[in-house]
Amino acid sequence: MKRIYSDRPASGDMVEAFAVASGKGGTGKTTSTLALGMALAADHDVTVVDADTGMANLLFHAGLDDAAVTLHDLLVEGTATDVDEATYERFGLSVVPCGTSLAGFEAAEPERLRDVVAELARDTDLLLLDSPAALGSKSAVLPVVLADRVVVVVEPTIPALSDGLKVQEYARSYGTETAGVLFNKVRSEADDVAAQAERHFGGSVLANVPESDAVRAARRAGEPLLAHAPESEAAARYRRAAGRLDVRDGDGDAVADRFRSAVVPDTP
Amino acid sequence: MSGSQRGDETGEPPTLTIPRGTLLRSRVVSDVGTTLSRALDRGLTGYATLVPQETLLLSGEARGVLTFEDGVPVLAYNTVTDSGGPDALAELAVPGPYRVELYAVDADGLAAAHREDALRVAPDAAATELADDAALADRTREAAPADRLRDDADEDDAVAAFLADDDRIEAIREQARSEARDRAAEWGLDDALDGPSEPAGGEGETAERATDDADGDDRHRESEGPTPPLDRGSGG
Repeated sequence: MKRIYSDRPASGDMVEAFAVASGKGGTGKTTSTLALGMALAADHDVTVVDADTGMANLLFHAGLDDAAVTLHDLLVEGTATDVDEATYERFGLSVVPCGTSLAGFEAAEPERLRDVVAELARDTDLLLLDSPAALGSKSAVLPVVLADRVVVVVEPTIPALSDGLKVQEYARSYGTETAGVLFNKVRSEADDVAAQAERHFGGSVLANVPESDAVRAARRAGEPLLAHAPESEAAARYRRAAGRLDVRDGDGDAVADRFRSAVVPDTP
Repeated sequence: MSGSQRGDETGEPPTLTIPRGTLLRSRVVSDVGTTLSRALDRGLTGYATLVPQETLLLSGEARGVLTFEDGVPVLAYNTVTDSGGPDALAELAVPGPYRVELYAVDADGLAAAHREDALRVAPDAAATELADDAALADRTREAAPADRLRDDADEDDAVAAFLADDDRIEAIREQARSEARDRAAEWGLDDALDGPSEPAGGEGETAERATDDADGDDRHRESEGPTPPLDRGSGG
């Protein structure tokens, strides 16, 4: 894991933290986060975090609308809330949803996400951070800063690709490399587009996920796509994408060493 | 019309000839979707000139012409580069604002231009690529005559043209890198920045950055030199 986490030793066998990011809204980032999470959960212990603290929606996708404790509560200083209280076991995943209230967002201190992530990292193999669709604030950028690698979710349009490239450069600026690009809402597959995209993104095209009624139906049902329509073509593509992520097996000791040698940036 | 009959003096066929028409509005818009939506709602037959005000990401100036038939875009053309069709859309697809002029023209006046197949774009391509507005793209498709709704295959043409433009992509990346660095300072995230970067082309691997021994970066986790690796930033 990355240098930036706190120097508390990792007791588990944390492998990697991925930020799922896009740069623009509406690309299906949350759907993708949960789908990749469920696919990866076949082989790993996966925790999914809604790190989009200003525009949270993972709770709606995961049937956690009424979650009493959320990430917002963990990001408020002085609360004695334990990370476990905001972690829900759903669909074979550990899910940390985020609340949707403005008050919750305003009270939250983005910097505390670092500690929350470090805490979660102790007990899971893989962390997926559903990241904000923006780059305009510290809280929006932090998930990408904290992650080891970023999965860039784009629609095959120029604005989405432009924003995806921006996200990649921001991520790189913080030493977060690109794990791959996921083309979503694809209406026609063009091999040359995928090949061209791979030239510019520091990772392969993980999958072309088609535009799909199954995705919309899953969202309405408050279920992740892979739970609601596991046989759908879109679900199959997500499983393929997860397979291509090439998760890096870290051994616990090496991870712990890296934690110990990591520099913890100042907390203003 | 504006600036597109350049062929006349050189003896080459004019690339795009349409009458000037009647100016309906002229303004700077932050979102070109406003213009496209207006043209669609009033079923405009005519054209818009689009001049992106964002120059950093353009190798030169771009001046776009987008024609409409009954509110639905038909042709795209960049009068600066002479690109047409999806290539022109790709060149024009930069973040706003744009200076926009909207003109009405008799349908007859556009007929000849509209036979230039090479300049044609999918009905919804401008809404998608220029305005980034999926709902507007849907509305435009619904308004388009059936014979203009071909398969989706060539919708990717503009995207392919964009991805083939290495200079443009590098400009976007360079701008993002510098923005990221400026903002890191603003947000107190300097210490999390990776070493002074690199650009190193655009392709492929990025993984080796972190171990690059660029000067000024004393945070490397694997630092083994005489300089204590943990001094900066960890003190307080």
